[in-house]
Amino acid sequence: MNGPDLDHPLAGPFWSAAARKELQVTWCAACDRAVWYPRPHCPHCDGNLHWRRLSGEASLISWCEVAGGLNPQFREAYTCALVSPLEAPDIRIVMRVTENTTPALRCDMPGRVDFVYLQQTNGAPYLAPAFTPYA
Amino acid sequence: MPALSLRSLARATSLPAGGTAEPLEDIRGIATITGVGETAVSGPSGRDPRQMALEAVAAAIADAGLQPQDIDGLMVSGHIADQITPDDFHRHFGTLGPLWFSTEGGAMIWAATCAHEAAMAMRARRATHIVNVFAVDWATRRAAGTGTPGDWHAGEDMKAHLEVPLGWYPQPVYFATFARRYMHEYQLTEAQLAAIPLTFRRHANGHPGAVMRDRGLTLEAYLARPPLAGPLRREDCCLISDGAAAWVMSPSERAADMPRIPIHIDGVGHGRIAGAPYISQQLDLTATPQVFAAPWAYAMAETAPAEVDVIAVYDCFSSTALMQIEDLGFCRKGEGGSFVQEDRLHYARTRRQGGIPCNTHGGLLSHGYLLGASHVVELVRQLRGSAANQVTDAQRAVYAGFTADEAATLVLSRGGA
Repeated sequence: MNGPDLDHPLAGPFWSAAARKELQVTWCAACDRAVWYPRPHCPHCDGNLHWRRLSGEASLISWCEVAGGLNPQFREAYTCALVSPLEAPDIRIVMRVTENTTPALRCDMPGRVDFVYLQQTNGAPYLAPAFTPYA
Repeated sequence: MPALSLRSLARATSLPAGGTAEPLEDIRGIATITGVGETAVSGPSGRDPRQMALEAVAAAIADAGLQPQDIDGLMVSGHIADQITPDDFHRHFGTLGPLWFSTEGGAMIWAATCAHEAAMAMRARRATHIVNVFAVDWATRRAAGTGTPGDWHAGEDMKAHLEVPLGWYPQPVYFATFARRYMHEYQLTEAQLAAIPLTFRRHANGHPGAVMRDRGLTLEAYLARPPLAGPLRREDCCLISDGAAAWVMSPSERAADMPRIPIHIDGVGHGRIAGAPYISQQLDLTATPQVFAAPWAYAMAETAPAEVDVIAVYDCFSSTALMQIEDLGFCRKGEGGSFVQEDRLHYARTRRQGGIPCNTHGGLLSHGYLLGASHVVELVRQLRGSAANQVTDAQRAVYAGFTADEAATLVLSRGGA
């Protein structure tokens, strides 16, 4: 598979939302908390989950600068990260980091989620979330 | 000695939040390691993993002073392709007898938990002499483009759909992300982290079987290398290798009559993070599930880190070795960066001298990537007193196995002469 699968029963809605430049995660109404990664039922109360749009306010938990050639799906160097949304600080969403960001990255810095086009080897471009630190 | 109940083991085991320990029954006193064997460890060699496995098994059986027909138990990995079957064993050795077979063996965490499984099989009289073997040909596969160590991760459903499309893949990226967080929380520097690859390389330089036997590494050369997955450099990442290793486990009451110094299996622990296998969501990114595994193993062995002379940790990355040294209890969380300085992991710096000799064969970073199977073989040699980089008077050893979301701990001790 070279690119996100919009029809995937669990992960597809994340990518459909990203295509609209929206950040969505699965949420348990009964527990009133995010559940990540998506699953058929809430692991805490077994209740139903629904997708919830988040504000995009977030903090950078950590990141990795990936040298070109390490990941065969992306030939050029890039930076990816674990990011916690403001509304759900206990979960971490895998994202990119917006290129050429200032200031320098540091753990726990605040920022917002933007959307950037990515393209895997032999795949079509798609919109994906990217952390952008606040200047 | 009387067996400890599950309740007393649980009571002796206080775990942090974020994971659980398997309730493994006390198996102390049942089984010993009586023979070890391995093939050459190498880069791409074109060798067949089954042939390598059989070569290692034959060496382990001979080392134990046994004949192939004495073996009535076989353990292999159920998670890595091309391991041997009972049919392969019988065909190769010309044996016919019943062979108890388990796919809960191999390397990684299973290099520790196989000892528990084997002891339980001996207790139930299912088998007497059990051989565990692990073979891998990932160096050949990678060179041929027919497989990589990242394949499992790329194929797991949620990782495939919510990590891979964003570029959080392959494994160096995971552990670099965690290393960065650790550096932030505990002010670890890259020069401090370097002590791990540098010490393991020195061990490899003194070990005849190590892939990096003839390749030195200086701090200056390390720091001059570009990041592969920042903050990790290539020297912080395991080799990719071909090779096999095996060991024979026998009932303790038989071991006294066998040629080698018996190496007692004293304790086994097995832990996993909540929400496994998704390590991106683990509660503490700066710790490993070794915090859930090690206390159980120590409780079963009725020992403590202060009584351990030599360790072998699953060093898929330098930073995961650092975290596991902490999580095994050799220093406090966050102090690993300063602890590993001043040759504290070097084989010549014993416990009495404030060290804890670690990965004395060179580890996955510099000996070879047999996923921990060579680690156990090395510890057996240390306890026998026949290691290349011999730790003075090594009496007790700990192996720390790891898969990322799970960890396991194996406590071994040298039997009486």
